[in-house]
Amino acid sequence: MPFGYHGSYLRIDVSNGTAENIPVAEAILRQFIGGSGLGVKLLLDEGAAVLDPLAPEAPLVFAFSPLVGSPLTTSAKFAVVSKSPLTERINDSLASSGFAIAGKRCGCDAIVIVGRAPDLSVLVIDGADAEGVSSRPKIRVETALEYSGATCQETEIGLKARLGAGYRVASIGAGGEHLVRYATISHDGRHAGRGGSGAVLGAKNIKAIALRGKQRAEWAHPGELTAISKSLSKRSFGPATAKYRELGTATNLLTFNRFGALPTRNFQSGTFDEAASLSAEGLSTTRSRVRESCVNCTIGCEHIYSLGTSGVRIEYESLFALGSLCGVGDADAVLRASQRCDQLGIDTISTGGTIAFAMECVERGWLDEPWLTFGSGDALLRAIDLIGSRKGIGDLLAEGSRRAAHEIGHDSIVFAPQVKGLEIPGYEPRALQTMALGFAVGARGADHNRSGAYEVDFSDKVDRRHVTLDAVQYAIDTEDKAALMDSLIICKFLRGVFDDFHAEAAEILRSVTGWDVSADELRETAKRIVAAKRQFNLLAGWTPAEDTLPQRFLNAPLPNDPEASLTGEKLGALVAEYHRQRAW
Amino acid sequence: MYIEFFGIPRQRAGIPKLEVHADTLGQLLGTLVRQMPPFGEFITADRLHSEFLANLNGDQFISDPATRLVDDDCVIILSADAGG
Repeated sequence: MPFGYHGSYLRIDVSNGTAENIPVAEAILRQFIGGSGLGVKLLLDEGAAVLDPLAPEAPLVFAFSPLVGSPLTTSAKFAVVSKSPLTERINDSLASSGFAIAGKRCGCDAIVIVGRAPDLSVLVIDGADAEGVSSRPKIRVETALEYSGATCQETEIGLKARLGAGYRVASIGAGGEHLVRYATISHDGRHAGRGGSGAVLGAKNIKAIALRGKQRAEWAHPGELTAISKSLSKRSFGPATAKYRELGTATNLLTFNRFGALPTRNFQSGTFDEAASLSAEGLSTTRSRVRESCVNCTIGCEHIYSLGTSGVRIEYESLFALGSLCGVGDADAVLRASQRCDQLGIDTISTGGTIAFAMECVERGWLDEPWLTFGSGDALLRAIDLIGSRKGIGDLLAEGSRRAAHEIGHDSIVFAPQVKGLEIPGYEPRALQTMALGFAVGARGADHNRSGAYEVDFSDKVDRRHVTLDAVQYAIDTEDKAALMDSLIICKFLRGVFDDFHAEAAEILRSVTGWDVSADELRETAKRIVAAKRQFNLLAGWTPAEDTLPQRFLNAPLPNDPEASLTGEKLGALVAEYHRQRAW
Repeated sequence: MYIEFFGIPRQRAGIPKLEVHADTLGQLLGTLVRQMPPFGEFITADRLHSEFLANLNGDQFISDPATRLVDDDCVIILSADAGG
């Protein structure tokens, strides 16, 4: 068994509570590392690409990494990987904190869940009594009927009280139970958010997974690892992470608004008149704010704003999706909407994107829900609750904007804000055209975490509104880097602290595993992981026509900014060059 | 001309906007340090450190201290990390 790993994964069938330990060859671990990479590899081996993601036999993978449990800052993370019920393509979403550490201490590098429990249940994985490398944790599938309809937080608190100390819990809310196609899996207030992994778990009748364990993987060079960890932690307190630490991602809102890149009213504008009221700077003047961190993180990017007697964790993506995208400038309504999404366990980006799309359909007279109008905080909150319960119009909106557009007709697919079915995050593609390419070719759809191409747009490498084929290599580099970070797993908010990311990542992996890994090997590993995601999509039915953007972005420039123009011909050339450079 | 601040630069400046006179980006950054000494921590040899970016009029990102500026220009100084 290699250092840093347990050398096996746990495959659990929740239909009958059976489990087996399946070895993973060291060569496979070295080729895919862990997290997203290992998860995709296991899914391919399971033949998941051709399965209905909501079928009992469809696997859902929780993948850990060799760094989990180490003293490296931000390394307490796990990936949830499955075929997406929203996109029918690969989906890998990440979350953080104690669940990752407890999961790995169960003595496995990943947990693969298949089957369907007869009733709403909790999967209990108790590795606290397991001894030795070959022992397996005890598996139980217990009723969770009393948590039907409960929020993620209520479920987590309730199960910890029921099961006892030491358990860490990941759960779904009502959204996952009702198979909302963009339901999340929540742990400790954070969400594996995008692509609907919560619906996959809900389809298995699993309300929550509770686990604990005490097996530790050994490190190859503990002294070296400690030194690297200290250095990284020290740098993580520096200026490269100051934005996240002092202001949080919410500060992006005013910046993007200034650059005409803040998606507004379902991408009908790149600026929002009420941006100031939703900004981090604006919110801080009227509300108290506290800062929190994931377990084993020295950055502390989470900014919790007061909301009545409670608090709500706020990120840029939630502010944009539930605020400017829906034309809502009432900060109280947007914070409540974000809080409600967290409680229901539904992705804020897809929720806001789908509601904004519906608001435009109402405006055009294509959807008979006259209350659902841009700018109405009450309508936003009502729509969110309907989605979580799949009642009324919520049943349609729970399907996401692409399926809703096909149902509504009238060519509304032209402005459904999605790529491959995944709603577009808060980066206006016409104003940030390297990001537009990243969205178009993304394996899981439009996504800012699997492609950091916006960083290229915010640099002197390209002219963000007039990008040329030179931008393609930069976009590929950011996609590869993201794949590597998501497999190691290290938080992307650390990326600014590395002088030479690949060289330092190789040093980290070497100290943990003992492998004589080089920066060049990691560059190849990243490409292998990106290619594995593509292989999954090919098996799932991907066609080249999917690598594009909705016609809205290709038909006309951004209003009020004629230079922000992206034609189908131009995007097509960028995508073709991307495929050529990938040798696909 | 104006300097507009966003993100950490705005927090450090304590104001969203500052009027200055300069013929080049280097001069502008020098003026900024004189008027707001805490910015000296982020500027070396007339260049911003990597955690900050400068943009001219919402169009091109600029870093060369010799970049020419005219009276009605607006230089935006922002946190380099645009991600969320």
